[in-house]
Amino acid sequence: MSDATPDDIAHHSRRRDADKYDVRLAKGTYPPTEEMLNAPIDPETAKAQADRLREVWDDPPGWRYWSAVNNSEVGVWYSMTAFGFMLIAGGLALVMRLQLAVPDNDLISAERFNQFFTMHGSAMMFLFAVPMFEAVSILLLPAFLGARDMPFPRLSAYGYWAFLIGGIFVMGSLLFGVGPEGGWFMYPPLTTLDEGVGPDIWLLGLSFIEVASIAAAVELIVGTIKCRPPGMRINLMPLYAWYVLVVGAMILFAFPPLIAGDFLFEMQRSFDWPFFDPERGGDPLLWQHLFWIFGHPEVYIIFLPSIAVAAMVVPAAAQRPMVGYNWIVLSAVGTGFLSFGLWVHHMFTTGLPSISLGFFSAASEAVVIPTGVQLFAFVATLMAGRVKMILPMLWIAGALAIFTAGGLTGVMVALAPFDWQAHDSYFVVAHLHYTLFGGMVFPLIGGIYFFYPFIRKQKMSDRLGRISFWLTFTGFNICFLPMHLTGLLGMPRRVYTYPAGVGWDTLNMISTLGSFVVAAGILVFAWDLVRPKGKLMEERNPWNAGSLMWAHDIPDQFWGVRSIPYVTSRNPLWDQPGIVERMDAGGYYLPDAQEGLRETIITSAIDARPQLVARVTGPAWVTVWAAVFTGGAFIFPTFHWYPPAVVCAVLAVGCVCYWLWTSTALIPEAPEKDVGLGLTLPTYVSGPSAPGWWGVFITMLGDMTAFASLVFGMFFYWTADADFPPPLAEHASGAWVLASALLFTAGWAATRAARKLNRLERIGQARAALGGGAALGISGAAALIASVMGLDPTSHVYPAMLWALAVWTAVHTLGGVIMQLYCLAGSIWGKVLPHYDAPVWNTCLYWHFLLITALVSALLVGVVPGVL
Amino acid sequence: MRPSDCRVRVSPGAPTLKSLTPAGCAGRPRRAVFALVAPALLAACGGPQSALDTAGSDAATLSHLFYVMLAGAVVLWLAMNGLMLWVWRIDPRPMPPRYARRLIFAGGIVFPTVVLAALLSWGLSIMPDQRAPGDGLRVEVTGEQWWFRVHYWPEGATEPVRSANEIVLPVGSRSEITLEADQVIHSFWLPSLAGKTDMIPGRTNRMSMEPTEPGEFRGQCAEFCGDSHAWMAFTAKTMMPEEFDAWLAAETGPAAQPEGALAEAGREAFMAQGCGGCHAIRGTPARGRVGPDLTHLASRLSLAAGALPMTRAALVRWIEDPAAVKPGAKMPAYDHLAPDTIEAMAAYLEGLE
Amino acid sequence: MPTRPVEDLPRHRNLFLMVAAPTIWAVHFVAAYATTAIWCEKVGADTAGLTWLVTGYTVAAEALIAWFGVSMWRQWDYMDDQDYIHDGATDEDRREFLGHAGFMLACLSFVAVIFTTMPVWLIGSCA
Repeated sequence: MSDATPDDIAHHSRRRDADKYDVRLAKGTYPPTEEMLNAPIDPETAKAQADRLREVWDDPPGWRYWSAVNNSEVGVWYSMTAFGFMLIAGGLALVMRLQLAVPDNDLISAERFNQFFTMHGSAMMFLFAVPMFEAVSILLLPAFLGARDMPFPRLSAYGYWAFLIGGIFVMGSLLFGVGPEGGWFMYPPLTTLDEGVGPDIWLLGLSFIEVASIAAAVELIVGTIKCRPPGMRINLMPLYAWYVLVVGAMILFAFPPLIAGDFLFEMQRSFDWPFFDPERGGDPLLWQHLFWIFGHPEVYIIFLPSIAVAAMVVPAAAQRPMVGYNWIVLSAVGTGFLSFGLWVHHMFTTGLPSISLGFFSAASEAVVIPTGVQLFAFVATLMAGRVKMILPMLWIAGALAIFTAGGLTGVMVALAPFDWQAHDSYFVVAHLHYTLFGGMVFPLIGGIYFFYPFIRKQKMSDRLGRISFWLTFTGFNICFLPMHLTGLLGMPRRVYTYPAGVGWDTLNMISTLGSFVVAAGILVFAWDLVRPKGKLMEERNPWNAGSLMWAHDIPDQFWGVRSIPYVTSRNPLWDQPGIVERMDAGGYYLPDAQEGLRETIITSAIDARPQLVARVTGPAWVTVWAAVFTGGAFIFPTFHWYPPAVVCAVLAVGCVCYWLWTSTALIPEAPEKDVGLGLTLPTYVSGPSAPGWWGVFITMLGDMTAFASLVFGMFFYWTADADFPPPLAEHASGAWVLASALLFTAGWAATRAARKLNRLERIGQARAALGGGAALGISGAAALIASVMGLDPTSHVYPAMLWALAVWTAVHTLGGVIMQLYCLAGSIWGKVLPHYDAPVWNTCLYWHFLLITALVSALLVGVVPGVL
Repeated sequence: MRPSDCRVRVSPGAPTLKSLTPAGCAGRPRRAVFALVAPALLAACGGPQSALDTAGSDAATLSHLFYVMLAGAVVLWLAMNGLMLWVWRIDPRPMPPRYARRLIFAGGIVFPTVVLAALLSWGLSIMPDQRAPGDGLRVEVTGEQWWFRVHYWPEGATEPVRSANEIVLPVGSRSEITLEADQVIHSFWLPSLAGKTDMIPGRTNRMSMEPTEPGEFRGQCAEFCGDSHAWMAFTAKTMMPEEFDAWLAAETGPAAQPEGALAEAGREAFMAQGCGGCHAIRGTPARGRVGPDLTHLASRLSLAAGALPMTRAALVRWIEDPAAVKPGAKMPAYDHLAPDTIEAMAAYLEGLE
Repeated sequence: MPTRPVEDLPRHRNLFLMVAAPTIWAVHFVAAYATTAIWCEKVGADTAGLTWLVTGYTVAAEALIAWFGVSMWRQWDYMDDQDYIHDGATDEDRREFLGHAGFMLACLSFVAVIFTTMPVWLIGSCA
């Protein structure tokens, strides 16, 4: 099959299992013919279309502006909020530097210093670096992909509000002097023994933000694989999209272990289940494992998106396509994988066997290879092009200079024996700031200078940008270069002061001076960012870059793109002459919004063949309320106020259900519509072609990772402790465990049957199966709880672990049951019909994962202890 | 800064510790590369807590490793950034993409694979030596909030020699260090002799050290352990074997009797105030095991786990209000006592050589 | 451009096959780590058996990676036209692109697995 000749698209889309999915297929011609692409467009029609589109996509007026969900609005709020948190966290650092400027200083107390360094790290990681990636990607990704919006705009908005509430809560604790003070790594037992609310604030506040991050990751992955414009095959994706895909997947596998860890941690804090208490069989090292399984990929989660920004700036500076596109894809994917084999290098000094440390040393060195490829690809592109001296490139060059230094010290500390000296000393402080400033802050600021004309339709000042760069660059090196030596002279991290005469005085003073120069540079940048800039730009593409983004409209239109183009190149603006004019004229896909609905095109994952017109959600307050109540559900337990927490949780679930009910998988007015260029696409699909199904699938992959972390915990206790399970321990009741496994299996079978029966129009039976499935699920969870009912989880970590598995499964069952009841209600009130059944497919998918969770839990609770 | 006579927390016993003069630095340049890159550092890498100013075989190996890596890193950094500067500023004419791709392959794949494999082999192969079993003395160190409990187990001993906050090791033999923790995680780090190892509640970790020259050093807790993490330090002495044996014999013995009326009064006050409930002074009724053993307190180089110098003024200051020196310190304040009493107690303790 | 027709099969548009080799690296890594943890905790200090076991994993993993590498090399089909850029909007470019990236990932994984095995050869002690 060649793409040279246009053909009947249905032929392509038809698949072996088409009947199974009941699929409405795309019809008509695809790819479009030259003739179609050159057909004249009636300006009158185009104007009417544009007016309708504009009305549909416009932001709500007045104060209702804050109910907007457009990626262009949410992305800006998100990034400005993250930037604000960065300034606060940077301010904390300045106070710490003042405290450390001279020995024996008492500018701030030890307690306050500890709160400050804890929040400096936590905020920079959780409130700045990761959210900033999500924010920038939400803002830019649709533009790179020529999409109208993200696939789930309300989910972005929900994620943003959750982030804002959680961030204010965690940061605000500092004002009351009750901030967390156990370090951003929150190692128990120090933090489990802490009697204040600090650790709870940290755990619950940040868990809440982690949930928001995972939501964003799900959306970005689905956005990248399903929302590309027709024709943008996987080998033509902008490199930024590749990085988003890799980083999204990494978040999905890195954050859940921390959430599982938080769950165990909070169970210990709230109910005294001794997961990390060595007196009762627990082990503080389990937390370290779970934390760093998250924590090291996290570093790359921060670094890769910034390199992605660089990967968009470098070709524009070199005025040629990236040399070694394939190499960069290799390096992004390779780094993504290898970064999961590094976590123990944060634990080199914990006394693990040398061979075990060796594995992580080896992986830590191996990851240098793909990282090096990445950097060399940039240099190679600059070599092969004629470099334009644009300001963003200056920041990228500074980033490379700093990052290579951080990378080279990274090679040093990756070597376990050297790390025995460097670990937890100022050497590591220097190393990590070199990697994060070079790998994140510099490319980010360069990126903002680069993308600002797209975001605000104005240019930032070249002069201020240069001043800011040189201040930041020199200040950074003055501050952090000496720290390498300070560390090797023996200064440990996280000390609120130090004695004179050990040789650290001068070095610390220099670092403090440097830190204020950095601050000056960042402030110049901040001023340039927010100052009024007068008129809009004249030209759309100030850098003469090649990506679709620069086809944007000036002044801004909220529709994203006027029409969704057909793409045949990595740099469409360079290689497809006339594409911008034709997009503007509405000469590509979906130029209209006759039905008054927000729509975007969903395409196939690899070859980007059009599959569906997705109706995306519009402005709403319910997302804000959902975030507020979710916040309550996380924040009230901090103060051990459980009843309001439960009320909030119920309200949050209610809000989410309302939002899904009223705006997703709506039954369309017609099963398909003409999207232009001779193509007709379905308006509703269920199962694996639907973005919602992908959303559930990807979320559940993350959920499985969290569950796998609990399973890892169980085996960890077994390997680490000769007495696990304790020889005389009571075990779970086998009969109840067996009953639970059977009930869950039956519940799953009922759910599956409901999907089939509904398709076969045996509505009554389908409803019975859904209701029955819910009852079976509840009974299964009850049976699992009953099996551990006789065990005291506070007595030893073994019963606590069984309880944790049972509770975990029960909570997930609750989710499954709510979904079944949602489908049941949908069937009764006409939201689910035999051939409009996306919710049933999604519920079924969820239940597949639930069944795995339930059966594995049953196995671990009932069978494995007998075998160990 | 707070003005106070003994607030000046100089490195404990600063006059006796290895001085900060450059002469002590690493001492033994090994390679030509080292001589090339190190001069700037040479002037500044000394100090009682320096990982570059070594007096033990393990730390020496690691410092050697560091200098070699540093030399490589400097060369690579200059090459990479020089190349950037070249293509961007000095000669920006486009080169054929073919060369650019070769650069990616050679610089990104071949070169790092080879260099990293070599470096990794070297690094891994020195690990077993660093953790080699000891051949004589065993020292058991327990991390407390915020001090170090130290028990010496000479070969064949059935009872340990109890001490605190100071590690004394013989030169020329490899001593085994056993590491435990009481409540929270700490990390034991004596940079001049070896790398660090964590002390984790519920686990027993081990490491070993082989001092190669006599001297006095400072070590510190490297894992954040709460409010006074900054003041959880210790001093260390390495001695020639015969000197060490003499020291150990003295350390094993009971405490010195108070000399003079003031010290005698101090001893009585010490016992009357119930200090013995927490502290032990061998040869007296004080047998507490909660706090540091004070039997030979005055022979140590510092007071309060490296926080204060070993002077009478510092002792007074400490007894009056420990938490003012070390935030969160568990020892209660005795500022309700008459200054004379405290002075006397300090005089008694000062005599516990 | 294309010199001989190649049928475009489902496996040629499978992203998961592209990342099969690094997945094998991950499995090998976890297996080596878990085996070492259990061996040092439950079996004892003599690591000769452990060395053989992990080396065995390595041989198996490298064989699999090599197999995937060869299949990716074929999919890349470099020898037909010496093309390694793959920026066209055709099935062939997409297929060869995935082959090329998959092949390079296999090479990287091959090296990474060797790196991961070095500790058992060079350290050989549970200390």
